[in-house]
Amino acid sequence: MRNILLTLLVSVSLFGTDHIVDQKNKTFIPHSITAKVGDTITFKNSDPFAHNAYTDNEANEFDIGMQAPGEDKTVRLKAKAKFNVECAIHPNMLLEVTVH
Amino acid sequence: MAKDYKFEVGEKIYHQTCITCHGESGVTSEDLNFVVRPRNLSKTILTQEQTYEVIKEGGHYWGSYSDMMPAFKYVYDEYQLRAVAYYISLKFNKGLEKKAEELYAHSDKISKKQEPKMLKRGKKIYNRNCRWCHGLNAKGDGEATRNPDKSIFPYDLTRTLLTNKQMFLYAKYGGKFWGTDKDDMPSWSKKYDDFTLKSVIKYIDVTFRKDKKIKIKSNFKP
Repeated sequence: MRNILLTLLVSVSLFGTDHIVDQKNKTFIPHSITAKVGDTITFKNSDPFAHNAYTDNEANEFDIGMQAPGEDKTVRLKAKAKFNVECAIHPNMLLEVTVH
Repeated sequence: MAKDYKFEVGEKIYHQTCITCHGESGVTSEDLNFVVRPRNLSKTILTQEQTYEVIKEGGHYWGSYSDMMPAFKYVYDEYQLRAVAYYISLKFNKGLEKKAEELYAHSDKISKKQEPKMLKRGKKIYNRNCRWCHGLNAKGDGEATRNPDKSIFPYDLTRTLLTNKQMFLYAKYGGKFWGTDKDDMPSWSKKYDDFTLKSVIKYIDVTFRKDKKIKIKSNFKP
């Protein structure tokens, strides 16, 4: 069931795969993703409050800023690395990203 | 055993006035529906003196978003206000001031070598994590408060009567630990070490609270 769900969450775009990561109940869903250089991550916000996903990973650094409920934001993965994405507002949120 | 008149006065007023929101044991009844539930008085970090100040001036004066906790200085005289704070302190949160001091005493000390780095570190973390709720000027009006459901009510840090030590403990352990109903003010201890959290508090104090040093009589000084 989980595999089916993950498959549904991953869609392929012209320039690489777009990995959908939802933010719900102050949790990244899924908790981890494996991607390739050039892939994108689209962050959804299903919570009724704002989130702010970011990473300090030098090669893939991004900070999507304030993300209102229902809003989508997309970032592109630039380099091979293994890093964490966090939320600036909710310290217990953690997404592990592996880029091959 | 001698009668404690002050305790009795405080108890009487508490049962006449405070009990409606704060409950008989200092905890709000689950049956009552508040947007922001009153502080659990058995967990509050406030000292007796600070409790008196909040009862006297109301929550909004000390940085709370709402005036749900009204100013009672127009209702009761000085002795009565202090008696209520005395009652709450003895009845519900006896020993909490000591517990807070102990928690602070066990936190990492800042070395002389670390001190010069504190403001820079504090500013970086404040702007990364705190400003979304507490705002660019720590007024409690950050972007996250503009959610459609209006469910976040951060404190105006320029007005809070908490000492720096208390603010550090609040940031480290989170609001729920100290009696708030929700965990909108999360515990940052898993993410940041004591040096970082103390740096943030120092940055807030130097940058936003420099003109408003709260003079509170307490053994637990800033």
